[in-house]
Amino acid sequence: MSKVLIIDDEKDVRIVLKEVLQRAGYEAAVAADAREGLEKLEADGADLVITDVIMPGMDGVATVEKIRESYPGMPIIVISGGGNVAPMEYEPGAISTNAYLASATKAGADRTLTKPFERQELVKAVRDLLGD
Amino acid sequence: MARRLTSLSGRLVLIVLLIHAVLLPALFAVMSEVVRRNMVDAFIDDARMQGRLLADNLELDANDSAQELEQHLDSAVLGGRIVYAAIIRGDTQIHSSLMSDEDLKHFDEDYEFGDHDDDTYYLSMPIVSAGGMANLQLGFDETAAKTHFEDLQRSFVVVISVYLLVTVVAAVFLSSSVIRPIRWLQNASRAVASGEYDKKIETDSRLAEINALTEDLELMRGNLVKVNTRLRHAQRLESLGTLAGGVAHEFNNVLQPMLLYTDLALEDLPGDSPIAANMRRVLELAHRAKGLSQQILTFGRLGEEGQLQVLRLEQIVEEAITMIRALLPATVDIRISLEANTGYVRCDPGQIHQLVINLCNNAYQALETGAGHIAIALYRESVGQELASRHPHLDAADYVVLEVADTGHGMDRETLERIYEPFFTTQDVGEGTGLGLSVVHGIVRRHDGEIMLTSEPGEGTKFRIYLPRVDAAGQDEYTER
Repeated sequence: MSKVLIIDDEKDVRIVLKEVLQRAGYEAAVAADAREGLEKLEADGADLVITDVIMPGMDGVATVEKIRESYPGMPIIVISGGGNVAPMEYEPGAISTNAYLASATKAGADRTLTKPFERQELVKAVRDLLGD
Repeated sequence: MARRLTSLSGRLVLIVLLIHAVLLPALFAVMSEVVRRNMVDAFIDDARMQGRLLADNLELDANDSAQELEQHLDSAVLGGRIVYAAIIRGDTQIHSSLMSDEDLKHFDEDYEFGDHDDDTYYLSMPIVSAGGMANLQLGFDETAAKTHFEDLQRSFVVVISVYLLVTVVAAVFLSSSVIRPIRWLQNASRAVASGEYDKKIETDSRLAEINALTEDLELMRGNLVKVNTRLRHAQRLESLGTLAGGVAHEFNNVLQPMLLYTDLALEDLPGDSPIAANMRRVLELAHRAKGLSQQILTFGRLGEEGQLQVLRLEQIVEEAITMIRALLPATVDIRISLEANTGYVRCDPGQIHQLVINLCNNAYQALETGAGHIAIALYRESVGQELASRHPHLDAADYVVLEVADTGHGMDRETLERIYEPFFTTQDVGEGTGLGLSVVHGIVRRHDGEIMLTSEPGEGTKFRIYLPRVDAAGQDEYTER
């Protein structure tokens, strides 16, 4: 059974994605931030990683870069809520989450999904990447 | 001069003075010379005539005794003008008894008025008489004529000085009458430069040039006000988009588990369960919320955007019209006029469909109880420099224009100002989301286009969407990439 690691700072997103994937026939593990995710990946391993992009501490783009260093072939799906977020330092305007997703793709993410996505969209993306 | 003379009045006075410094002495010299010549000619003619007369008189009495001649000469001297009178006959000289011997030594024949600097014009006249040749010598007083001439010169100087004074005063007055409105305009344009756009620029000047300048400045201010208003409007919409995008982001993170939990719950419930029916409603509403969120993102240009393709706009508009016909009641009068070969635009066809549908929907809602019509037109337009300068997003170039007009109730100024703001609606609560035109705005911005809107309360509304026209050659280039 393939194993998926889900990294998202939003508790309900972690729980529901885990259940969706379990019902689709995958083993799923969760982590609340990038640091915890990387530790679990190191300790337990995974066949695919799903990570949120806007997270406190290390963001999704940096997480993808980090995973790519140690696991060049690891399939990665990056997810983000559509819209924009204010930059850390005050600047006029804000950064769209599309821009974050584009950066994650550049960093090596295989797929991006914008929240809210449908159950089937996620399952299909996972299946495609794992070749099931 | 320590400081360069830069003020208009200073320069004008200086120029007037410089011109007159050259002109007036010349004028004075010419006038003096003309007057002097006339006077001298008259003086000499007069002297000669008087001399001739005297000589003729003496001629008649050639044989007069010396005493009689002397009396003649005396009477001539008594006339006042003649200061020297003598007759030379052979070696003898007869002269007026009214002259001293000292006076007699002075005779020195003149060729010109004023010769010899002796204040006397001397001339001699031959007297032909039976007793032989004689010579009449006369001296005329020049001082009266000289004084008269000097008086005239002084009058000239006075007249010229008065003239110069009047001219300088006129120059000062003229320059101040020009400078006053210029200062005024200067203050007005400074006010505009510092951001006070609202005050109309006008003058009470009667100078045509100043009035023309005022009108130009007022035109400039008007344009500035328009551009500024549009810019402020655009900035306001942009910040609204940013704000809405931030809210949408949070909203979407909440919506995600809501959608999936409901989906999972439905899977666990038998299809005919009353709980399942309610859960299906929840799912439906969650999808509606997702749709709203996506519209907000389209407005803020934060949505998932497909690739822009170089396509013929008329084809996409035709497709959208088919959709509109299906969406609106069949009784709605839709008039279509699509110009053939309007050319290519770089666009997202799905978004263009959305744009046409939203505009038509808006037009339909403006129609009172089905009366009136909606007109959809598509045509080419070359935007000129003038129009481009007034619209921040337009360039002087070729555009394809999509026009959607209705004969509905129109909009007032206040509504027009806020028309693209998300959730701004004139519909009753629950009838419209207030996102339709916000989405239109976001789509047009994404396509580097411009929206022009004209509306009159009671007469209808017309939207014109300008989309940059591209060469068909761009199409090949685009599809290759």
